[in-house]
Amino acid sequence: MEFWRAAHCNFELLFAQSSMTPILQHASFYWTLMLDQRKKIIGEDTVLFEHIWKSGKGFYITVSILGALVLLAIYAYVTQYRTGLTVTGLSRQIFWGVYITNFVFFIGISHAGTFISAVLRILKAEWRRPISRASELTTVFILMFGVGSVLIDLGRPDRMLYAIRYANFQSPLLWDVCSIATYLTVSSLSLYLALIPDIAMLRDLGGKREWFYRILSLGWTGTEGQHHRLDKAIGFVSILVIPVMITVHTVVSFVFAMTIQPLWHSAIFGPYFVVGAIFSGVASVIVVMAVLRKAYHLENYIKPIHFNNIGIFLMAMTLLWFYFTFAEYITIVYGNDPVHMSIFWSKFTGKFAPLFWLHFVLCFVIPLPILAIKKFRTIRGTVIVSISIVLGMWLERFVIIVPTLTRQRMPVQGAFYIPTWVEWSILAGCISLFTLLYVLFTKVFPIVPVWEVREGREKAAATAAARITSYMPETGAPKE
Amino acid sequence: MEFTRRTFLKIGGLTLLGLSAKPGWQVFSKVEAPEPSPDAETLARKKWGMGIYFRKCWKYEGCTDCIDACHRIHNVPNMGTLKEEIKWIWTMPYEEVFPEHEFELAEEKDQHKPVILLCNQCDDPPCVRYCPTRATWKREDGIVMMDFHRCIGCRYCMAGCPYGSRSFNWRDPRPFIKNVNLEFPTRTRGVVEKCNFCVERLAQGLIPACVEACKEKALVFGDLKDPKSEIREALKYKTLYQRQPELGTKPKVYYIL
Repeated sequence: MEFWRAAHCNFELLFAQSSMTPILQHASFYWTLMLDQRKKIIGEDTVLFEHIWKSGKGFYITVSILGALVLLAIYAYVTQYRTGLTVTGLSRQIFWGVYITNFVFFIGISHAGTFISAVLRILKAEWRRPISRASELTTVFILMFGVGSVLIDLGRPDRMLYAIRYANFQSPLLWDVCSIATYLTVSSLSLYLALIPDIAMLRDLGGKREWFYRILSLGWTGTEGQHHRLDKAIGFVSILVIPVMITVHTVVSFVFAMTIQPLWHSAIFGPYFVVGAIFSGVASVIVVMAVLRKAYHLENYIKPIHFNNIGIFLMAMTLLWFYFTFAEYITIVYGNDPVHMSIFWSKFTGKFAPLFWLHFVLCFVIPLPILAIKKFRTIRGTVIVSISIVLGMWLERFVIIVPTLTRQRMPVQGAFYIPTWVEWSILAGCISLFTLLYVLFTKVFPIVPVWEVREGREKAAATAAARITSYMPETGAPKE
Repeated sequence: MEFTRRTFLKIGGLTLLGLSAKPGWQVFSKVEAPEPSPDAETLARKKWGMGIYFRKCWKYEGCTDCIDACHRIHNVPNMGTLKEEIKWIWTMPYEEVFPEHEFELAEEKDQHKPVILLCNQCDDPPCVRYCPTRATWKREDGIVMMDFHRCIGCRYCMAGCPYGSRSFNWRDPRPFIKNVNLEFPTRTRGVVEKCNFCVERLAQGLIPACVEACKEKALVFGDLKDPKSEIREALKYKTLYQRQPELGTKPKVYYIL
């Protein structure tokens, strides 16, 4: 950027002096042409490109901190790989803990991207435009950590491909493999498709990385026909990804629901997990949006109205989540099966009570009033709520998984679980690596879909007006 | 021919495809059927089961002969902590295993007496369904088998077993085995293990080690399909318990009052 500005100034200076040879005049004409094209591509959206080219002090500090945490997690995993899972707090009785919680939690987060971008696209909600990429990117990146968490949990990670080689499709874990692989493919495709026009812009801007953008842009020139095909493809993928998304968390819940363990063996686990997934996912997208807005000065693009709109949706999800939680527990309490009740009491008043009630406060008591009152549904308000929900939903996954293992169908000895530094480091490392990948992505591609925002600016008002007119009753004489 | 980008991509793609053909073929083609059991037809004619007499078992207080025999011949390590405990056969107090049969006992003090627990070798084993790699399966004679070399250590079978019969190797178990029995495999870290009804002894015509080790003959073993077998004689006209029969797993270990 700086170079271009400087170049421009120099040539203006040359013009002013008006003492040029014809050759120089020719060159300056060429430069002006280039600059004109640049201006045409960037337009008024300089800020959307700036974060690709400019790296301030903040960027390097963030990357170093995240890098250090990732290294710590790698060290933790190497320790675990060399000595076995004994370095975790897991035991014969409580054999699933933080890693499996992470698996369910991360895959849950991945549901937001699709929900916000695909569903809003289908509903033709125009305000989705600036935030669709940020949410899709969250989906794609966090999904990899969901898969990774299961692999980290394996006793013999060297044999992980046996799950494909000797696949037993009777096992819900295989359903997970199929469903998550499909979801990762479809959501990556949807992210990439919406990137193509922006990649072409970056290619046309030239520079050192032009070859890279040239390959990825697939020869996009922005003709009418190309736009038509792209719209069709995005529309198709948006519809395809929604049922896939629903299956993903449904089969994740089936890992638990298909067993006959108390408080896991529940028919509402499928929808309950999907609701929880969208709930936690949308909350994390709010956090991501707020961070991007602040760090990359996107105040003009990601506006309070976005937080307000998603906040209303989040409030609906809060109530829906409460409804499912209530339905789940009231069925157990009323049924009064002693095997189930012993686990229930361990959550309600027993040793898991602090975690259980904390998660309830974080997921329901704090979010509901803040989201329900318009005055509090500001950027700050929704971000506070979202952080509370994200923490609460991690705890929710934990208090679903662990208490059942403390006492399956009879009292057991040694049901004791305190996660160790290895597990916490790997959790921190996963979140850090996710953030790091996210930051690095914004160094290569614009995080706000430039072409979509422009399309909205140019065409949306007219399209929306035409659409609204079409809803209205016809006036005048009925047509023959 | 002009060497365009398109040509390059074509050649590159074909080369990659060619190189991946062999490993790809190996991954997907070599799915062998689960180890053919010795003479499957003969095995299918049998259905192994076990009976445990409470009273005979309680005769000597603190006796652990069956447990010791099993753990010795199967190289079960003594990990020393509850956290990493590995057990194929163990005991729990009567009142905790059969709380619903509280009043069948004659004497109050018997409530705290130990009940021997081991893999129930269910006739409809849930663990087999959950295993993503078919590392655990049911043999024709009803024994639930475990392949330590195929187990990936996901522990889903442990979540699926309602009896807590499975243990996981949280670390390398070999240093914790006192005397290694060279005739039985040791395990590596990261795999699940459990009682196998002594298949290796059955193959030699021997009865399971725990049954053989009991001085009081509190354990009976035999073919449930043969009406004249020792086990059928032992079960006849008796009050029998199974662990959680309501789950529909059809345990083949019976407790005889």
